[in-house]
Amino acid sequence: MSHNLIHIDKDICTGCRRCVDVCPVDAIHGQSGTPHEINLDTCVACGQCVQVCSSYLSEFESTPTIYAEKLAKRGMLSSVHEPLFAAYAQCHTHEVKDALANKNLFTFVQCAPSVRVAIGEEFGMPLGVLTPGKLAAALRRLGFDRVYDTNFGADITIMEEGSELLHRLTSGEGKLPMFTSCCPAWVKYIEQDYPDLLEHLSSCKSPMGMAAPVFKTIGAEIDNVDPAKIYSVAVMPCTCKHFEAARPEMNASGYQDTDVVITTRELAQLIKDAGIDFVNLPEEEFDQPFGEYSGAGAIFGVTGGVMEAALRTGYELLTKEQIPQLDLEFVRGDNGLRTADVALGDMTVKIAVVAGLDSAAKVLESVKAGTCEYDFVEIMTCPEGCMTGGGQPKLLLDGHRKLAFNQRRAALYSHDKDLPVRKSHENPSIKKLYGDYLGEPFGHHAHDLLHTTYTPRKVK
Amino acid sequence: MKSTKFIVADADKCIGCKICEVACHAAHDNLNYTVGAQYSAITPRLHVMQVNGKYVPVQCRQCEDAPCANACAIGAITEVDGKIIINEKTCIGCKACLVACPFGAIDLRPQIHNGEVVTQPRLKTLQDADENKSVLVAYKCDLCAENETQACVAACPENALRVYNALDDSKAKALQSALALHAI
Ligand code: SF4
Ligand code: SF4
Repeated sequence: MSHNLIHIDKDICTGCRRCVDVCPVDAIHGQSGTPHEINLDTCVACGQCVQVCSSYLSEFESTPTIYAEKLAKRGMLSSVHEPLFAAYAQCHTHEVKDALANKNLFTFVQCAPSVRVAIGEEFGMPLGVLTPGKLAAALRRLGFDRVYDTNFGADITIMEEGSELLHRLTSGEGKLPMFTSCCPAWVKYIEQDYPDLLEHLSSCKSPMGMAAPVFKTIGAEIDNVDPAKIYSVAVMPCTCKHFEAARPEMNASGYQDTDVVITTRELAQLIKDAGIDFVNLPEEEFDQPFGEYSGAGAIFGVTGGVMEAALRTGYELLTKEQIPQLDLEFVRGDNGLRTADVALGDMTVKIAVVAGLDSAAKVLESVKAGTCEYDFVEIMTCPEGCMTGGGQPKLLLDGHRKLAFNQRRAALYSHDKDLPVRKSHENPSIKKLYGDYLGEPFGHHAHDLLHTTYTPRKVK
Repeated sequence: MKSTKFIVADADKCIGCKICEVACHAAHDNLNYTVGAQYSAITPRLHVMQVNGKYVPVQCRQCEDAPCANACAIGAITEVDGKIIINEKTCIGCKACLVACPFGAIDLRPQIHNGEVVTQPRLKTLQDADENKSVLVAYKCDLCAENETQACVAACPENALRVYNALDDSKAKALQSALALHAI
């Protein structure tokens, strides 16, 4: 399935092929020394080529007119004045700006965990600086009517995915290993490259995909607004989330659940465009009830985070006892594949955490061959999870990438440590959501809003 | 004789990615890490050129009989620790050094002082009578004079750049030929 999200500007590309090296699906083609092209059928829109490309539009080859034309073609606001590189992600900032100016719309916004540990970088703050309070304040000043949070969505995901895993483990129904389904690039990849294994994917929507229909149904009810008038924006570290939001299945509310997705970089551009002094903003809170989150929701941004969050909840739901240790060091780390045997009561669950589609392909091949021993596998496309996503601030120099990744990761874990609630099932707003509206996790009503289906899409 | 060092590129290794240019900018003009936090255009001191389908960066040779220094009417170009340095504070932007440089290694860019573009107190631009004209000054490779290492050399993913030191290089080559003679 094609998309229109990632491109290479022929005028700027020198054909150095560094992007070819990072593309996990060999979607980039061309002769070295000449401009390259992306096959948008196979491209999973991970944006890693955008992150690595270093060929920029030189002052010597540009004029104000050329620069303005390029901004327009990329969907960027005319106020942007950053260097432009050959590989780029299509922007959707104009849509958001127009919606915010439209007085007939009621606007919702949600922000992924990783946005709050990176957006400060775009304002000259230190790498990996943790700024949830300024983020909420900035979104409010941009004019959003409700400032909600994807972290809350992540807590719902844990309730659903944890229950689904326990169901698969104990009932014998559903395939094992079960794969996580939060990462849209991974989902597109398995749909096109391993369509026979789709039953292994959790039926859970992503945190964004779960939060959005909750906003447009229950959120609409709370605010007493017509869902037709709600415009729901998601801010993501990910260039592929736009693809996910546009999937026809993502309309459980009766409308497109997420109207538009912008990246961390695009949000920074909107904030600058509005003349908001991000660095000096006061610390504010996200709006209730869908802005309350646990530490488990916060660590979704780092590879291993979904697994750790799921184990914290899975353990307690199954054993009805407190998990002895909250920091599950064995799933943390930055290598492509981590595995462990975890005791849940008298059951031993074999888990694996995968970052990068190369490692994912190895696991998929072993499933195909019938030799895979894992029960539950977390898979993310980007090198160290979402905080290293294609929509995150682009480091000017390769040499700073690792430094940035380390600081963003440390910020996510320290955020988790400092939050009063660190398990999804103990988040009071989550308890209320299930108690008042959804009923049982993985139950009937939850299924309608929070679960999805997949489509085999073999690329010819 | 001790001569100046300079940065030389291997055209067979260069892939044209322009990281050296970005690294040069970052080393000289930029305190922020991310693309969105760049407040000035990328103005590198070396330029990746494409000729006959191949790329190679060109930059200042730190010439011994530096034509740029000879051309500068106000003596803004001097040799400091084996590097030919343009004093961007005294440069008046007359462009004589640009004309004199046989390699096109010198360019003009706005003068920056404490992170601000310096403007001329009296000279207004005709298009916009309220705006004072920004001061343009000559700039070129200074071998990263403020640092131990050279940013472009460190950043190149293909190791296509190195600091060439004539004395070391001829010694190393002489040693090689001595070894070759022994082998006969
Ligand atoms: S898109 Fe960028 S990284 Fe890819 S070949 Fe072109 S210049 Fe190189
Ligand atoms: S976005 Fe990802 S999958 Fe698409 S061409 Fe770039 S690196 Fe490849």
